[in-house]
Amino acid sequence: MTTIKWRNHLTAALVGGALAFALPLDATAQVNNPGLLVHAADDEPTTLDPAQVEPGEGGETVILQVYDRLLDFGSDSPELIPSLAVEVPSVDNGGISADGLTYTFKLREGVTFHDGTAFSADDVKYSWDRAIEMDLPEGNAGALADVIASSEVVDDMTFSVTLNDPSASFLNSVVTAMVASVVSQDAVEANGGIEAGVPNQYMAGNMVGTGPYKFVTWNRNENLQLEVNDNYWGDNAKLDVRIEIGGDPDVRVLGLRAGEFDTIETDPSFVADIEGADGVTIFKGGLLLEPLHIGMNLNIPEGSLPPEDTISEDFFHDPRIRQAFNHAFDYEAFLNGPLAGYGEFNPHYVPIGLFGHDASAPVYNKQNAAEAERLFREAGVWDEGFSVSVITEEGNLFALMCLVLKDSLERLNPKFRINVLAVAESVFDDAHASNPLEYAMWAKNADPAADPNFYLNAYAHPDGEWGEVHGFGNGYRDAAKIAGLIDSAAIELDPAKRAATYAEIQRELYEDPMWIIGAQEGIVMAHRSWLEGFAMQPLWPRPSLKFSLFDK
Amino acid sequence: MQLRDYILRRLLVLPILIIGVSIVVFTLTRVGGSPIGIYLSHEMTPSEVAEIQARFGLDQPVWVQYLQWAKGILQGDFGYSGVAAAPVSDIFPLKLAATMELAVAAGCVALFLGITLGTFAGARRNKLPDHITRIVAVSGASLPQFWFGILLLIVFWAQLGIAPIGRSDATIFASIAHPTGLYTIDAILAGSLTAFWDAVWHLILPALTLGYGATAIIARMMRSALVEELQQDYVDAARAKGLAEKIVLKRHARRNALVPTVTVIGLTFGFLLQGTITIEIIYRWPGLGRWMADSVLRGDQGTLMTYVLFTSVLFLLVNLIVDVVYANLDRRVTLGK
Repeated sequence: MTTIKWRNHLTAALVGGALAFALPLDATAQVNNPGLLVHAADDEPTTLDPAQVEPGEGGETVILQVYDRLLDFGSDSPELIPSLAVEVPSVDNGGISADGLTYTFKLREGVTFHDGTAFSADDVKYSWDRAIEMDLPEGNAGALADVIASSEVVDDMTFSVTLNDPSASFLNSVVTAMVASVVSQDAVEANGGIEAGVPNQYMAGNMVGTGPYKFVTWNRNENLQLEVNDNYWGDNAKLDVRIEIGGDPDVRVLGLRAGEFDTIETDPSFVADIEGADGVTIFKGGLLLEPLHIGMNLNIPEGSLPPEDTISEDFFHDPRIRQAFNHAFDYEAFLNGPLAGYGEFNPHYVPIGLFGHDASAPVYNKQNAAEAERLFREAGVWDEGFSVSVITEEGNLFALMCLVLKDSLERLNPKFRINVLAVAESVFDDAHASNPLEYAMWAKNADPAADPNFYLNAYAHPDGEWGEVHGFGNGYRDAAKIAGLIDSAAIELDPAKRAATYAEIQRELYEDPMWIIGAQEGIVMAHRSWLEGFAMQPLWPRPSLKFSLFDK
Repeated sequence: MQLRDYILRRLLVLPILIIGVSIVVFTLTRVGGSPIGIYLSHEMTPSEVAEIQARFGLDQPVWVQYLQWAKGILQGDFGYSGVAAAPVSDIFPLKLAATMELAVAAGCVALFLGITLGTFAGARRNKLPDHITRIVAVSGASLPQFWFGILLLIVFWAQLGIAPIGRSDATIFASIAHPTGLYTIDAILAGSLTAFWDAVWHLILPALTLGYGATAIIARMMRSALVEELQQDYVDAARAKGLAEKIVLKRHARRNALVPTVTVIGLTFGFLLQGTITIEIIYRWPGLGRWMADSVLRGDQGTLMTYVLFTSVLFLLVNLIVDVVYANLDRRVTLGK
């Protein structure tokens, strides 16, 4: 099971070798496909419906281009900017009530949907209510339903929403989420309407929004085409778009080098194949907000571990074991190997680049074998050793991170055994979604978010998503304190006080880690040099691109 | 037994075989992982997972699920594809057409080259042309398709820019109607030379890559069979009668050499269908193979079950056709015994 997609590496080597000896490409001489942006994507969407799309899934890429939300992120900073709302609500401009519960959005006039119907506050309420009412388990309706008490159409161009509790992250995390995209009420009602718990098949394969692009066609497993919306309320896009879906990653690289693709989705492990190619620019800047992590399970059902695992179910309850794993991991090997040097080490558990990240907080960023040995000895597992399995998807950075973990631990003590179970995506998803989780460790990346509360709630809170699955309450030295800090920061509207609380949480979590965070992956995006206006914003869904900004 | 009776008997047995295959397929895909893996995420509560299971009828006993699935198939409902975000019955014909077009094109390449090269080599046994043909054949059989395919792409697509990738130029493809789903045929029906040329141009590299592997098998079989036939007494008799060597070869020896070759051609069809998975991924060909590869990785069981059932039935039919053709070519073969 430890076999990583050797074929990819072999092919990459063959392709690289062949290209090295081949005649130089003359792809810089002219601009291929003028007027058209060809983007080679990794994944195919499973839906184009904002009410059904799962965060991080391929459909979000398209939804970002075709639908608008009330607010958005600019391309060069994490600050919110107006979109369908004409201003960002604040207490000062009267958009947020004094008690922090009611948000009022003044909406943009003269906006029309792609089907020609006029946009109004009714559409916003309809779109949000629709997602909440459909409440599809694979979607993200909970982001709205969990925080919104009620919403109201004040007038045609004013929409207000009242929350259950004050929330410091409502604008950043909820209003900008893809599930909060505004759809055409007329289009939905004409094509199946709203049915609780049932996906709308029309909306899953068609799009009617107000964004800079209009949906043209989706040839499954082949391509998805968008065209410029000439009636866009903002600056018009310059290029039509064809998203080439899936296929072999090496062929994507080849296509970029040949000038057939303008942008491709890659990760740092492909840099060596692209760097120095004529007419190709590698955009390097900033970090993805999806730290690569390895989970440690404190809630293992009795007798459920793979037969080769020798650890007890309460193995990770001991904070010394968790610390020892964090000290043992060879961070530099991971950063300089699979990540090709593109990344940073980050603390538990606010990503670098996000509000609340404390640069002075302690970080696990260097292998400390002596400290790891000391802690393993103190925990009483050094002499006897142990065997533990870590499950992950095959053929990607997660699997490579697991191999670094394996190498780190097994070099530290030959009596330690890490079994890397690199499995197909569907097998991993099945295991990963189970509760309780029947593996002691697993590797993946965090879902991206624009506010620290999301990360801390999901990945550190004892009663949060993973706190509940992994049983953090079984292992924290002071679970109530961690929970109290995270809860208080979530509703603190004073940024300075909120940042101070997050700084304290990061220090607590360093001492009491629930994850091994291999690194925060650097942004690496390869594109043709003829592309103008290239920008990436990690707060936008993967691949963090807005095609409407580009020209060539 | 008369040929007609034999075919009727085989066709009558076919539904029983299909039911058997469908039970095996259904069981295997249920064993192979969660049928809703594509929709699952760790954020889901157990009740949300149960909700999705109920949506796809997975809250029912397995035998009820099988009956519902079988009933759906009889009504033309093959389930929903999470990977394609559409009903399987909507997408399957489109993908099948793309794959069949590729497989048939590759088959034509393999048949033409295989029989020609095999005849050429067999008639020149142990001479230089025979050795060259052997090298060509062995290369075809031993070159990894993904490597050979990428090599062709590097040279003809990336370097020379004379061959395209994918199945079509999106604009040209959209300019004609697609009643059959077969791009070449649709282009002819539409009377569009541009579209026809676009279809053929996109077919060349993937068909060549896929067909080359099969060429080797057919050529080797053809050569061996021809060598054997050329040593038979009836060939000597034909030569003794004064027939031209060309006639001896083409009308007598080659016809008989085709008998074992036809069996291989039947098996080659399976090889071509399997081969399309690799070829479609490399060449970004939007066919069944690529769709299946995605479905396997992402646990899209509705699609997988349809595909496996389809290929099983197809193989049953192809075997029947091969038996019939075999009997037609070789009168010594008696059907049904």
